[in-house]
Amino acid sequence: MSRMICAATAALGVALAAPAAAEEFKWAVTTDPQTMDPHAVNSTPVLGFLNNTYEGLVRRGKDMSVEPALATGWEPIGEGEGWRFTLREGVTFHDGSSFDAEDVLFSYQRASSPESDTASWFAPVSEVKVIDAYTVDFMTTAPNPLFPSSIANWMIMDSGWAEANNATRPDKEAGNHATLNANGTGAFKVTTREPGLRTVLEPFEGWWGEAEHNITRAELTPIQNPATALAALLSGDVDFINPVPIQDVARLASNPDVKVVQGIEARVIMLGFPHEAEALKFSSDIDGENPFADVRVRQAVAHAINVPAILQTIMRGNAEPVNQLVSAAMSGYSEALGAAPAYDPEKARALLAEAGYADGFSFGLKCPNNRYLNDEAVCQAVTGMLAQVGIDATLEAMPVNNYWPELRADNFDMYLLGWSPGTFDAEHPIRFLVATPNEEKKLGSWNFGGFSNARIDTLLPMIQSEIDPAERQAMLDEVAQIMADEQAYVPLYVQPLVWGTRANIELTQRPDNFFILRWVTVS
Amino acid sequence: MLAFIIRRVGQSLLVLLIVGLVAFSMFNFVGDPIDNMLGQERTAEDIARLREQLGLDRSFFVQYFRFLQEALQGNFGVSYRQGRPVTDILLERAPATLELAAVSGVLAILFGIALGVFTAIRRDGIWAHAIMSASLIGVSLPTFLIGILLIYVFSVELGWLPSFGRGDVVTVGGWKTGFLTESGLKALILPSITLGLYQMTLIMRLVRSEMLEVLRQDYIRFARARGLRDRAVNFRHALKNTMVPVITVIGLQLGAIIAFAIITETVFQWPGVGLLFINAIQFVDIPVMAAYLMLISVMFVGINLAVDILYFFIDPRLRADRTGGH
Repeated sequence: MSRMICAATAALGVALAAPAAAEEFKWAVTTDPQTMDPHAVNSTPVLGFLNNTYEGLVRRGKDMSVEPALATGWEPIGEGEGWRFTLREGVTFHDGSSFDAEDVLFSYQRASSPESDTASWFAPVSEVKVIDAYTVDFMTTAPNPLFPSSIANWMIMDSGWAEANNATRPDKEAGNHATLNANGTGAFKVTTREPGLRTVLEPFEGWWGEAEHNITRAELTPIQNPATALAALLSGDVDFINPVPIQDVARLASNPDVKVVQGIEARVIMLGFPHEAEALKFSSDIDGENPFADVRVRQAVAHAINVPAILQTIMRGNAEPVNQLVSAAMSGYSEALGAAPAYDPEKARALLAEAGYADGFSFGLKCPNNRYLNDEAVCQAVTGMLAQVGIDATLEAMPVNNYWPELRADNFDMYLLGWSPGTFDAEHPIRFLVATPNEEKKLGSWNFGGFSNARIDTLLPMIQSEIDPAERQAMLDEVAQIMADEQAYVPLYVQPLVWGTRANIELTQRPDNFFILRWVTVS
Repeated sequence: MLAFIIRRVGQSLLVLLIVGLVAFSMFNFVGDPIDNMLGQERTAEDIARLREQLGLDRSFFVQYFRFLQEALQGNFGVSYRQGRPVTDILLERAPATLELAAVSGVLAILFGIALGVFTAIRRDGIWAHAIMSASLIGVSLPTFLIGILLIYVFSVELGWLPSFGRGDVVTVGGWKTGFLTESGLKALILPSITLGLYQMTLIMRLVRSEMLEVLRQDYIRFARARGLRDRAVNFRHALKNTMVPVITVIGLQLGAIIAFAIITETVFQWPGVGLLFINAIQFVDIPVMAAYLMLISVMFVGINLAVDILYFFIDPRLRADRTGGH
């Protein structure tokens, strides 16, 4: 009872302080969006947040399908020479200026400039032509069936606003007006921005769409300490936190004041091998050879790892196993591919013996300890399971800031990697993780092990330009099959997504871990 | 005397330079800032270009030298994370830390002295024993645990106080203060207790032992023999004479309160410079880390320098030492 009185007084206090704030919504995330510039940083915290305030030509719906936003329609030009977008009329930016094709052209130039972090989205584009004020053509170097969905996170900025504020190009290093201010066409406008402290949003009165939410003011606070975030949610100081630590899920679920919203993230966690290496770098008993170059050893690793056990214990049943580099929710997922190698230590030992390592060997496993959910614990489990079949991993776990430089320097015998396809399509991991590394063509930039398969390299450009969905899927299936046969990676599981909200909040969770404010209702 | 001061200032500058050098040599171990600045679709070319732009391809000696050059002109660079001048960010965050430190310091001094005197005078009383036992908690429990405990009791269970943040702030002449709003004052309670608890117990135990020492002195016995009232004896004579070492310690602890605020600020998401520093480590924001470390070392070195110079005036033996006496 006393708690209710307290809550009532607190509510009264809020009401007295700000009479207009009827449905105020507060949320906390671990990572503050570091910039308000939609073209400066290509990361989930930034793009996810800015999706509330900026909009693209297309956007993703609640089920991740592509739907019209600033474009009302789009159609291919000719035999796949490009895409024509018809723009929405009567749209205004938050500052009142109107939206037209010039803004689209400007945003293309801005987002594809070398200063931008999103330039790779426009690699297939050869030219952008303004046909009239509400028609824009995107010409592509090759047929590109997925182009509309690949630009769902490309956000349109007002050319006049950017020019007036000297922000015609993003500036990651020194920052500019667009780093701290936002002027989009989205459902919410940024009214206060204090980097690292709080960001306040209010509904944009002139938004073209129909509001589904009932929020009058929203405030984002980054809270880095998980225990503090949890306490803030439990005490009602915030209405929503992302993420909820896996180990607190059961506790939260039993509390009637809060809800746990769970789903599957688009991120696949996998083990990678040093395909190209001449020798192991961290072995104490093997010199001058690389056992992982032998496909049987890689298969042995896959058979040695008990993924269901890892998910049951470390992920507490919140994650799903996976047999390829994308989850089933992504387009281009290969249904045709057989199940992942089953847990079978006997078979693993037999494969090792066949490859000439009956007595096993030692090697070094590199792992991040603050990048993915319970990453270090997963690596410890993997180490234990590999020891069961006779291969001894020396685990070295480190913060992610030290981890990527290690991988880039090839300092690993095996490593853990998570990959979330930015385009939500199976082609994405092939381009970044599987294609033979080629700086000029910007391929394989995350293929640390240097896996190389000529057939996949041939298939990739064909997949990228194939218009017929069935043909395309057939090629994706072929790649998935080669990857499985070669055991290029050992895909382990799809990372879970765990959000926590107060009981009176309704929201929609998407696998890209974007929090979309316009789908939130407070009751 | 001038020579003494010059020597001390010279030593202080040397300490600062060495702190900076050690800090810069350690930044290599914090990791690579590049991956936090570029998205997953970056190319090797992007990485190399940004690395060169930030001067990260140079040795830490060169980076340190550049930092010093710029710092001497009052320029601490631009935050990698926020893309804003570090000086602006530090100035923006400083009021939160200073207000928290001030409240914690005042709490620690007031309660520390009061409880110290109480436990000394009633040294065999049950309350004195209880307070002394409880003070062990303040000394031995880690700060973050105390903070989390307070949050769970007063925010989650009782719902009396906010679990994080600084509440509403009011800007007075460019200084954002939380002293003038109800939510600001409420938000100060838990963090300042968390931050001040250790200093409070320290002061309390110090006052108590000094007080017990003084109460044994002949002049106290003599004062009692003269029939002075207890209050006069305890406060006018005993407490006054315990204050000299206590004030010295309080002075030195001032710096510690500001420096230790890092943990308290992290637990309570208190928007001060300590939290800024922790985030800077997470994102390898070298300019922010460098500026913060230099700021804290300037503060410590400054306090020590002031204390040294004060001693010089207070204690004649130091002066004799300087002229090579004994």
